[in-house]
Amino acid sequence: MKFSLNWLIELVDINVSTDQLVTLFNLKSAEVEDYYQLTSATGLTVGLVLTCILHPQSNHLHICEVKISDDSILQIVCGAPNVNVGQKVIVALEGAILPGDFVIRKSVIRGIESNGMICSLDELGIDHKFHQEDGIHVLPLDTPIGSNPLHVMYLEDTVIDQKLTPNRGDMMSMMGVAYDVSAMLDSPIHLNQPVVVEIDEKIDLKVSTLTSECKSYYARIIKNVKIQESPVWIKSRLIAAGIRPINNVVDITNYVMIETGQPLHAFDFDKLNSHEIVVRKAENDKKFLTLDGKYRDLSKDDLLITDGKNPIALAGVMGGASTQIDETTQSILLESAVFDNLKIRKTSQRLDLRSESSIRFERGLDPNRTLYALNRAAELLQSIGLGTVVKGISSFESQNLKPSIVKLPHEKLNKVTGYCFKTEQVIEVLNRLNFKSVYEDGIFIVTVPTRRIDILTYQDLIEEIVRIAGYELIPTTLQASSLPGQLTQIQSIRRTIRDTLITLGLNETISYSLTSESEATLFDQTPQPIVKLLYPIAENKGTMRHSQLPALLEIFNYNQARKQQNIALFEIGKGYFQSEEIEYVSGILSGYLDELAWQGINKPIDFYTVKGLLSALFQRIGIKEFSFLPPQKNYPQLHPGICAEIISQGEVLGFIGKIHPSLQTEKGISEAYVFEIGLRKLSEKIISNQKVKEISKFPMVSRDLAIVVDKNITADQVTQCIKKGGGNMLADVHIFDLYVGDKIEIGKKSIAFTLSFQDFSKTLSTDEVDNAINQIIQLLLIELKGTLRV
Amino acid sequence: MEIKKQIKELVEAAKIEISKIQNMNELNDLKSKYLGKSSPFASLMAQMKSLSNEERPIFGQVVNEGKSEITLSLDEKRDFLEKENISRRLISEAIDVTLPGYEFAIGSKHLVSKTIEEIENLFIGMGYSIKEGPEIELDKYNFELLNLPKGHPARDMQDTFYISEELLLRTHTSPVQVRTLLENGGNKPIKIICPGKVYRRDDDDLTHSHQFTQIEALVVDETVSLADLKGTLLVLAQHMFGKDRQIRLRPSYFPFTEPSVEVDVSCGQCQGKGCSMCKQTGWIEVLGAGMVNNAVLEATGYDSKKYQGFALGMGVERIVLLKYGIDDIRSLFTNDLRLNRQFK
Repeated sequence: MKFSLNWLIELVDINVSTDQLVTLFNLKSAEVEDYYQLTSATGLTVGLVLTCILHPQSNHLHICEVKISDDSILQIVCGAPNVNVGQKVIVALEGAILPGDFVIRKSVIRGIESNGMICSLDELGIDHKFHQEDGIHVLPLDTPIGSNPLHVMYLEDTVIDQKLTPNRGDMMSMMGVAYDVSAMLDSPIHLNQPVVVEIDEKIDLKVSTLTSECKSYYARIIKNVKIQESPVWIKSRLIAAGIRPINNVVDITNYVMIETGQPLHAFDFDKLNSHEIVVRKAENDKKFLTLDGKYRDLSKDDLLITDGKNPIALAGVMGGASTQIDETTQSILLESAVFDNLKIRKTSQRLDLRSESSIRFERGLDPNRTLYALNRAAELLQSIGLGTVVKGISSFESQNLKPSIVKLPHEKLNKVTGYCFKTEQVIEVLNRLNFKSVYEDGIFIVTVPTRRIDILTYQDLIEEIVRIAGYELIPTTLQASSLPGQLTQIQSIRRTIRDTLITLGLNETISYSLTSESEATLFDQTPQPIVKLLYPIAENKGTMRHSQLPALLEIFNYNQARKQQNIALFEIGKGYFQSEEIEYVSGILSGYLDELAWQGINKPIDFYTVKGLLSALFQRIGIKEFSFLPPQKNYPQLHPGICAEIISQGEVLGFIGKIHPSLQTEKGISEAYVFEIGLRKLSEKIISNQKVKEISKFPMVSRDLAIVVDKNITADQVTQCIKKGGGNMLADVHIFDLYVGDKIEIGKKSIAFTLSFQDFSKTLSTDEVDNAINQIIQLLLIELKGTLRV
Repeated sequence: MEIKKQIKELVEAAKIEISKIQNMNELNDLKSKYLGKSSPFASLMAQMKSLSNEERPIFGQVVNEGKSEITLSLDEKRDFLEKENISRRLISEAIDVTLPGYEFAIGSKHLVSKTIEEIENLFIGMGYSIKEGPEIELDKYNFELLNLPKGHPARDMQDTFYISEELLLRTHTSPVQVRTLLENGGNKPIKIICPGKVYRRDDDDLTHSHQFTQIEALVVDETVSLADLKGTLLVLAQHMFGKDRQIRLRPSYFPFTEPSVEVDVSCGQCQGKGCSMCKQTGWIEVLGAGMVNNAVLEATGYDSKKYQGFALGMGVERIVLLKYGIDDIRSLFTNDLRLNRQFK
């Protein structure tokens, strides 16, 4: 909330500087977002326009003689069309500095000397929306020449802009701020009950409600109203509060709302069709013309103020056009009412009509200010001589007007804060807050005034006490830990995966979970239902992703466009489905893994590079058994011949493959390899109770063997066959070469193995190894039609 | 004695020759010349047979002495030549050590992960466990059980992405706290941190991101106090930003804590004097915290007469921005390798 510091000073004694006050607000009350002079203009005076002639060299400039004191007349060239003889104007003298660091200097304008500037309100830094004046500002005729116009216009003021939390509805009023300042500074507050002088005349007015969502309703009728501009002091305070002055009646309702927090509304009483006010739900009323000239669609639960038949206001949100105040208004009906906060919130949100008034209703009002505010408005209207108050108030009241009692055990206060508060210390703080209290049997029994509807529990009281006493009082201690701190299995695996992939050369990314529908499902093997937002901020951020790969492709693209050739990325994050969230480790690689060294050794990334990386990763996290097999499912975004499913213990953990050439072209990227593996499935395959394997004392014998098989026989099939044929003696099978070419039959390939044999009980003889090799060759021939390459 | 003179001359001649040789080959030649089968010593030894029994030992001694003197000289020369050889080889093998080493691929850790891990490690050391939960969450866990019933004005503080009336993208990791409280059945102390992705309906700009990472901590026990919270916050601030940092608490509001505070850390750039980074205040707002609201304890089955607790929450990206001097939160989601690769 923004407010005038002068206004606050009127309500509470402030014996500290503005800077100190702001610091105190920050530490004890509500954060000050900003504070500034209402206008920063200097070097101004009030002048009288003595002469005003058209500039000979211009069709819009005027040459004016302006009297600024008894013995001083300035010649000023003025461009405003509304300048005229006899006006009292704001003169910026030579050396004046206007907002925007605009320094006024003597100048010659088209050959004519100009010794200052006649100012508009815009030039003083008053936003146009607050005054809507074009041209220079004209002061009242009785303004003394040579006086300070800022003083005359009540613009010598500081604006304080506080960021309020939703619980502090009380601070949305000058009175609330004053109470908090009074507590912070321990200084007296000055508030008086409004005094209203009624005339003898009485007009019958019935007020009732058909719904409990109207908590209270007070109305007064004021006659002989003359609609005109408000006095400058009211206008300047409204401007400080960020509210546009409109006319005296509307301004006073706004003024009283800022002062008390209670929103008011004024109806043109003569435009009412009856002398009756009935609050009810909209029910069958479908549309309502609000005073901004727009038809609003009503929901049947919206609260309406009616004249018994037709709606005249959308309760708490906006008045109706039919009873709007205008220049012809002569009598008004002033409304001060309280409506259900959730109802007002719902209606204003739905219609996108959040206003100063609706926010105050939402956050809750002091039930004891409903009548107070009505009388305060009547008092103000009266005091500026613009109306006579008709006798009596018509009302309806169902609020609890009594203060609440909250009990705070002293021991609880100390236990929660960890600080030993003295009884007198607490009583003193409560007094400063203007909360009455008694101390009985170690309990503070506190009477909380109705202005603080946010204070309901002892915890709320603890907060009040600590903030006013000061958080710096609280010591810093650490709770002795009774619990062990540790990572869960999946958490430590996640870290190992991250660290291993980084060590292997991959760069970690974090990307957005929300994406477009097509991207979200791009890597689905079979269509999966999507999770979609009701109201996305953008269409391409409306769906939760199923896979991380589209985001990785985008990051890949981004970096490739910035001349990064060698790209290796991975991300650990989730895919989001209707039934579950699945955590993945996903990656994309392209180019070279190692930078080209001056030694001239590096190898472009291919399928086997990525497979090797993943194999290293699996071993690192303790997965012993895994294989990469031609996929059973269809992966439409992968090259059908260069992709594999990663399988462990018969379960598919994920996939690896080359991006399909079509997708590659579509995305405009170079060849790339991707993988995506389910983290939970992966962690389930980890052998956690691994024991040491005995090392044989006897030497190992190695033999190389090149086997020729049909091209479509996989290396895995051959390896499995060799293992089967080799039996226990076969300690290791290693592939060291693959050959396809004219030295062997067309449609065949040759795979070269190093087979290592070892026994735990003896040194193997040549015959034993030869026998094993022969067995292997036999089996290869039978099972795979494999032959020894000669 | 004739022989003595002869040997002496022989030794001297040999020494002169040894001193002149340059390499092992010459040394080996010289060795066979003086000590080999056809050397003068060999022929002298052959003369021994013709000598008398008295003369023979003396003659033999003289010859042997000469022989060993030459052998010694040859050995010394050999040592010398060997050392010379090695040092010549070492010189010829010297390399330019300033040429780059083999450039092993080494990747990089995302700054957000790095920071999460640092904070996790600190809290694990203080006896906390790490709890995680779903990002697509029930309204009930994200709001209602946190003292934020439907229509509560404080729901405006966190603009929410709804999926349906009851389902949403979590706006904070507090639902993990709720789930943990519920799991514990109201009678076990709790000491957890909850890191994870959260979502708010904000337009992305320099300081806002519709997706970011939060870490919250929750401690529930019979005596845990505001002073313990303050102590924990100080440890955290000094761990993340440096030992010389101070903290201050300011009143704030979160429906799930009461009292609620904003936590400022003293500005590291100006040491609290005031600069552009801290908007001249000397302090930087870093996180929010408070004592767990009894309404939350009661709603999750904890007796608020017996148990009390504190909670704190921070945005990881904000800490990363402050710590590493990054001014645009969006750059943490762009994953420009030229930035990411700076942090291994």
